[in-house]
Amino acid sequence: MLLSFIHSFQSEWLKTRCSLASWLVICGAFFTPLIVVIARLVHHDTLANLYAGKGFWNQLWENSWESMAIFLLPVGVVLTTSLVTQLEFKNNTWKQLHTVPLSLTTIFFAKLAVILVMLLQFFILFNMGIYLSALIPYLLVSGVPYPKAPIPYLAWLRENMYYFLDCLPIVALQYLVSLKFKNFLVPVGVGFLIWIAAVAGISWKYGYLLPYTYSMFNYLKGHTGGRAIVPAANIHLMALGYCLVFSIVSYILYVTKKEKG
Amino acid sequence: MLLCLFFMTTYCVQTTQLSHSFANGEKVLKDINLQVPQGSIYGFLGPNGAGKTTTLKLLLGLLKKQQGNIEILGKSFRENRIEILKQTGSLIESPSLYGQLTAIENLQVMQKIYQCSKECIGEVLQLVGLSATGNKKVQQFSLGMKQRLSIAIALLHQPSLLILDEPTNGLDPNGIIEIRELLKKLNNAFGVTIIISSHLLAEIEKLVTHVGVIHKGQLLFQGTLQQLEQRQQQAYTIIDTSDEVFALRIIRNMDVVVSTEKNKLVLPVTDRKKIAAINQQLVSNGLLVYEITLVKNDLETIFINMVNN
Repeated sequence: MLLSFIHSFQSEWLKTRCSLASWLVICGAFFTPLIVVIARLVHHDTLANLYAGKGFWNQLWENSWESMAIFLLPVGVVLTTSLVTQLEFKNNTWKQLHTVPLSLTTIFFAKLAVILVMLLQFFILFNMGIYLSALIPYLLVSGVPYPKAPIPYLAWLRENMYYFLDCLPIVALQYLVSLKFKNFLVPVGVGFLIWIAAVAGISWKYGYLLPYTYSMFNYLKGHTGGRAIVPAANIHLMALGYCLVFSIVSYILYVTKKEKG
Repeated sequence: MLLCLFFMTTYCVQTTQLSHSFANGEKVLKDINLQVPQGSIYGFLGPNGAGKTTTLKLLLGLLKKQQGNIEILGKSFRENRIEILKQTGSLIESPSLYGQLTAIENLQVMQKIYQCSKECIGEVLQLVGLSATGNKKVQQFSLGMKQRLSIAIALLHQPSLLILDEPTNGLDPNGIIEIRELLKKLNNAFGVTIIISSHLLAEIEKLVTHVGVIHKGQLLFQGTLQQLEQRQQQAYTIIDTSDEVFALRIIRNMDVVVSTEKNKLVLPVTDRKKIAAINQQLVSNGLLVYEITLVKNDLETIFINMVNN
């Protein structure tokens, strides 16, 4: 079982080569860092003070995650998950995939694992991008010192883990919808609608019940004075719970599908 | 002895009372008892919409079985799905390929699952004549090339059963001949059982050893090609004249059996001299002869008659 899962995973991973989903992961990961670099180069006269400051890395982290946590990450996950399953619909390959000697369970979880690994890949590339967005202005602009403050590795690692967990309900629900519908616009449309609801819901006292709000709340938890009502509940556990429920429903719908190609 | 042989026949694929209905209640398969002998090339024939693809999809587990039993390679498909699929190669309807990948990468996707040797990729590409495609993405392939690559995928893990749904679609005449020869070779050299569906008997009659004819969800005929040929009826001639009643009388006076069908005369005669004499007689009696058609009695005609009746 484990061996066939590994083989299936390798096969699924190969399918993402040169795909739109894999390009989206790379471009999405470096988009915000690129904007940060451009903004810093434009305001190069303020960089010397900024880089000498004690809170340099924390500020860079905040700047980088601002648009990422609210917009780019949820929407990116919606698109990537939908694009991975769309590979089978677009190429008319479900019927081929379902005639290989693999159980439906293996196929289901191998594909889901590929999406999760792509998400992990995104986090690694994004963190590299954040570091590069600090390094490039230092290398290009004369008189800018290398930040004296140490990089808060552990805090970043913890935050990365939280953001990763917060994305899981989006992955699971998008996976469910995109396995069900052939038309790419359906999962993307559903994803956008729930994201819009989530943006509107963060200032609602029960907003934390919406499964796409968690990355937003994780970013906003350290910001006081905004309109968002950050819940006292453990949002990461809730995210994990939602992910589990959506995955189980998705799995049942997938294996009981009457027509498989 | 013959009875003994009959009972000794082992079927690679056997269905019992296989029926299927669409969600709207429309019955698309009615009690199909398919019997594909081991080592045969089984031509599964029927017009479009007859139920061929539905049957093949059921054999591969792409459709959930509603009624009946399916046994493949001597085992129940339901209980031995993975084991059976390990020994089965398939191509259902249009090619199933990842457009953004090359031919080799598409085969690698399957090679990872089947865990066959990497050398198999080169071998099957060579077999279907796609060795020189290099880094060309499959989305840039012609339909014929895609069809060949799909066949290569079906052959990659050296299956003992091949299920091919209209595999020559989109191929040029040379491609069709090449694929036909390839399938013959696989059958003769490696004993691969092949089920090949088509809506044209002429396309596969040079290839198959057994035939199953399906129409409107019912299996109308099943047996060897020889058994189908034995169902041949006499060839006949159709004559269309300006006055069929008068023509009928003239021909009967010549001691020729004749009947009428849709205002035309039907004669169980194919001799050219005899037909010429009848024509001369009709014309000399002042009749206008609009049409004289010799209806051939080849396998295609038998198939068409079977389906039309």
